[in-house]
This record gives sequence, structure tokens and C-alpha cells, in this order.
Amino acid sequence: MRSEWRDGERVRSVEMTPLGIDRYRATVDGVAIEVTARKLPDGRLEIADERGVHVAEVTAEGVRRFVRLGTLEFVLDAESGGRRRAQTRSAGGLEAPMPGVVTRVMVAKGEVVKMGQPLVMLEAMKMEHVIRAPRDGRVASIAARAGEMVGGGTALVELEPDVTPAG
Amino acid sequence: MFRRVLVANRGEIACRIAATLREMDIAPVMVCSEADRGARHTRVGAETLEIGPAEPRASYLNIEALVSAAQRSRADAVHPGYGFLAESAAFAEAVETAGLAFIGPTPEQIRAMGDKRAARALAEKANVPVVPGAEGVDAAALLKAARRIGYPVMVKAALGGGGKGMSVVHDEAALREAVESATRLAASAFGDGAVYLEKRIERARHIEVQVMGDGNGKAIHLFERECSLQRRHQKVIEECPSSAVDDILRDRLTHSAIALAEAVRYRGAGTLEFLLAEDGAFYFLEMNTRLQVEHPVTELVTGLDLVRLQVEIAATGKLPLRQSEVQRLAHAVEARVYAEDAARGFLPQAGVARRVRWPRAPFVRVDAGVDSGDPVPVHYDPILAKVIASGHDRALALTRLAAALDETLVHGVITNLPFLKALVRARAVEEGGFDTEWIEREFLAGFTAVAASPAPELALVAATLADSLGGAAAVGATGATAPSSIPDAFTALGRWRLPGLE
Repeated sequence: MRSEWRDGERVRSVEMTPLGIDRYRATVDGVAIEVTARKLPDGRLEIADERGVHVAEVTAEGVRRFVRLGTLEFVLDAESGGRRRAQTRSAGGLEAPMPGVVTRVMVAKGEVVKMGQPLVMLEAMKMEHVIRAPRDGRVASIAARAGEMVGGGTALVELEPDVTPAG
Repeated sequence: MFRRVLVANRGEIACRIAATLREMDIAPVMVCSEADRGARHTRVGAETLEIGPAEPRASYLNIEALVSAAQRSRADAVHPGYGFLAESAAFAEAVETAGLAFIGPTPEQIRAMGDKRAARALAEKANVPVVPGAEGVDAAALLKAARRIGYPVMVKAALGGGGKGMSVVHDEAALREAVESATRLAASAFGDGAVYLEKRIERARHIEVQVMGDGNGKAIHLFERECSLQRRHQKVIEECPSSAVDDILRDRLTHSAIALAEAVRYRGAGTLEFLLAEDGAFYFLEMNTRLQVEHPVTELVTGLDLVRLQVEIAATGKLPLRQSEVQRLAHAVEARVYAEDAARGFLPQAGVARRVRWPRAPFVRVDAGVDSGDPVPVHYDPILAKVIASGHDRALALTRLAAALDETLVHGVITNLPFLKALVRARAVEEGGFDTEWIEREFLAGFTAVAASPAPELALVAATLADSLGGAAAVGATGATAPSSIPDAFTALGRWRLPGLE
């Protein structure tokens, strides 16, 4: 049994095998380490490897895990097949990167756009964010309307290759 | 003295103001939007009135709703905090017209200082040097002015403050875009689209002077604050005193600040922002006619409560102390904890601050706007708290701040805490050798690279174990549950549920 975590740009895999009371073999990205781990009365985890004893504190928020290890902080997102596909699709950068209000839509459906051209403007927490075309193309559809509140990850514009013959 | 004061703000500053009011035996009347029901600042007053929907314009920027709330609650004064309506002359006027005291400057002073052109003219008249610049709504005229001043130039809303919506442009094409953006932001945030541009002073430091005026032509200063550690023109770490300011420069800066404050017969707390060039020349930037976010460093250095001084001046029209009674007793450094992802372009984050633990230590102060389980709404500024440490010298204050940040925990929304922790330990910060662009020029790339490096194996092990052992669910009654899609590898194995683990 494996679990997978999104760690920034990577997907990391963890496989845990119990070896005895409080003892596990943890295989992280294919590399095995042996750890001793137990839950402390306050809910934190005490994890020991060959380098020493560490205290970890983990908070769940949806699929996200906030992990404090010693005084360092890490954010990991639980991965599932569907989510990974969604991540791949979002590589175009045409989703709202944060929840916010659409302040302007600067292109129309069918319009041919150049890489870097501003498409949609978002405002959140007093910050403006311009979503620009990640590549040349044609606007296939627009899901954003000015004044509309959108969630983080919402697809706002769909780009398709521009097949208009040159000249 | 006032009996009830309405705090027309939210978050950490509303909590901080309420604390001083309670200490003064004044009942704090809090207000909140629909999105802020139950927020921390609604739990610290004598009562809380709901003033409207989440959108700032319908609530915290709604003058009518706020004045009506003040009257309904029988408040005798209003404290605006910072941001929102703190620098709105119309609000100050409406409050005074309703027969209440406005804890801040007069509407005329807000108007004069809020208008950068008028403020610059006043500064020049008081013999305070200003940065070459131009202002207007006409893009063509601004382009012409930029040609005269020389690129690069800074562009911002004429009525704005705090660096929101400010940008540096190096050519005309970028200037056109920046002017358009600043005009729109200014129109939506301040109801006036005027844009201001000025020559950029390279490698400048941002130094500001805190003043308090009695409204009758007498003002005192509470030394300077060093606010050069900024990202995207937004301050992140501030301190008092500045390591770039010696006694001679301090005398010149504070003298200029008092000259300008007294020239306008300034009332209450105000801050004069200066750019300090590498050659020691300084230029007046603007005056903020309100309490600053970073006021706690001044408080820890002087032992004076700035909110108390504001209230006393508003109630009596007198300065409660003389210049000779203001002394520097320590060094203090503040770090602003923001809900933003420093490793991803400082993207603001909203959500729920599921688990929060603020540091507790001698010489450490925390001004917080959230506790465990509090929402971080998308509608407002992402500041969560300020962690401030003091010491008898700068090195000690920085060491304490670093330790305090290590002890701080905010889980549930991504914060800039890793960024702050790295920043306070950077050599240039330890040595005091930085300018307003140092973070972006020399620090950010390294930080981003470190932040993008893989998490250690034990962090992944901890996340996996917490899901199976219930460690992550131990947040308590906050409702955080692991999604069912995560394979629970260990419950199936039975033997993991050993006595003593639960």
C-alpha cells in the first residue's frame, strides 16, 4: 500500500511496512529507511531515524497536510489519479491561481492571442493578478465574467492552437 | 475621557486597539462584515455590530454604515485603525458631523496629506527635500513628465499608501500599462483615479519618522523606523532604530518631520516617510495620517502606547508628554505574518487558520488577528499577525525574533513564515546592509530555490503516519478530516492499533 504526496512540483511516494511495535520500514521514492514512530499524548508524532529523534506536527486541511518537523514547515497535498490529471491539465496556467474576483476579461471568444498577452485580470486581498497567454493560440472559450467570484484552480480561459493559415 | 469608542476596522489592528481601550476603561465597540462573523476581533470588545456584506465597499469602507453603528452603540469617538477608511477625509468629516470625535487628524489634514501633490508642496514650503515627480490622470502628460525626470520611475495611486498597486517601470510601454492599472486600482480603492509618478532613487532605504501633534501647532517625534525590508513595495520586517541612521542624521530627519507636522498643525499620530539615498541625502515621500502597521516597534523602544496617546490627544487636544520625555530604551524588530505563498510569487492565501500557536517569550509581543479555527477571508488584506521582539541591542532583538518565529505555528493556510525565518537569519539583515529592493535583488531567488527543494523523507513519513495514526485529525474540534480517497494503509493491518497509541 502506497500513498502519494504532491511536494511542490514533484509527486513523492511513501510506502510504510510495519516491522514491530512502533517500528516501520518507510520506503520514500524507492529508498527504504527504518524509523521508530509513536503518537505523543498531545497528538504530535515522535519519529526517530538513525540521525536522531524528531517531533512532527501534522494538520489536515482537505487534501492538504501542513507538516512541522522540528522548526521546519512543509506543505504536502495528497495525490490521487484524478487530481494528478487535473494538475497536468492546469499546466497551461489559465486557471485562477487563487480565489478572487474577476475584474476584467480582456479577450473575446475566437480571438487570436500571442504568448504573454493579458487575458483576464483577477483581484484578491487587494492584489491584482494578470493571467497571460502561456503560448500563441486562439481563445476557444471563456468561463470568466467581470465581477464574478472564482475559486482557486477554476479554469477561466481555454486556448486552442490557432489553425488560421498564415498570410 | 471617552466612554465608548467604535473601532472601525478588523483583524489584528482592531484587536490591538481594543486592548488599549479596555486598559483605559473605555468600552470598545467592534464592527464586522458578514464574512467576519465570529472573527477574533469580534471577540475582544464590549459589543460587536454587523455592518454589511463581505465586500469592503459594503462594510468596512461603508461610511454610512459605520457612522450609524457608532450612533446606535452610543459611542463618543471612532478609531479608524489603518487601511480601509483610516485616511478618508470624508469618513473623518462624517464622524465629526455626527457629533463624535475622530481619533486621528482633521479632515483637512487627511485631505492635504492624502493628496501627494499638496503634501509635496507643503514639504517644500517647510524646507523638507522631496523626490522629483509628477502627478495626474492624463497618461500623455505623465509620459512626458517621465521623459523629463528620467527612467526608471515609480507609479502609484495618488491617494494610496502602503505601496499597494505601486510599480517600477523602465520604459514607456510599461509606463502606459502601469498608469492604466494604477488608475483602475486607485478608482476602485479610493474613488479617485489620479496617479502619481516619481524618480526612483537607486538602493534607497525607507526610513520613516513617527510624530504626534496636538492639533495646535506643537508636535513631538518618537524617532525613526527602518522599513527597507520590503517585497513588492510591501514592508515585511521593520525595526527601530535604523542601523543606517546615526545621531546627526536622526536629528536632521526628526527636525524635518516636526517642521512639516507643525506647519500643518498636525493632530494625532502621523508618520513621515523618507527615502534615504546611499549618500545620506533624504527625500520626503509622503505622510501617513494614521497609526502604522509597524507602530509596535516604536512602542517597544519608547515604552509609550501610541493608541493611548492617540486617544488622549483626541480627548484633550493636548500632547500628554514633552519631547524630552521620549527616550530610546531598546531595539525592536517586527515581522509581519501574511497568509501568502512567498515561494510562489507571494500569492495571497485564503481559507481557515486551522491550528495557530503564537510564540510566548520574554521580550516578545504578538499582535494577532486570528486564533485556531478562524477564517482568513479572501476579501481582505492577508496580514494575520505581527511578531515583535525587543532587546537592549539590535543583535539580541533579531535573535529573539528568530527564536519567536521558530516557535510560531500557523497550519491551514500557507503563510510567509518560512520566508520570514530565512530572512531574519540572512547575513545582510544581521549586518543591516540592505535597501528597499535587496529582498528581490539578492534574497528571493535563493529562498525560492530552497523552498522548491524536496521535503525531507521524514516529513513525508510524518504526513503518512499522521493519517494512519490519527495525528492529523488531532487538530481537535475543528472538523478537519482526512479525505476518504487517501488509502488508509494501516488501519487494515490491525496490529497498528496497539494500546497506548490511541
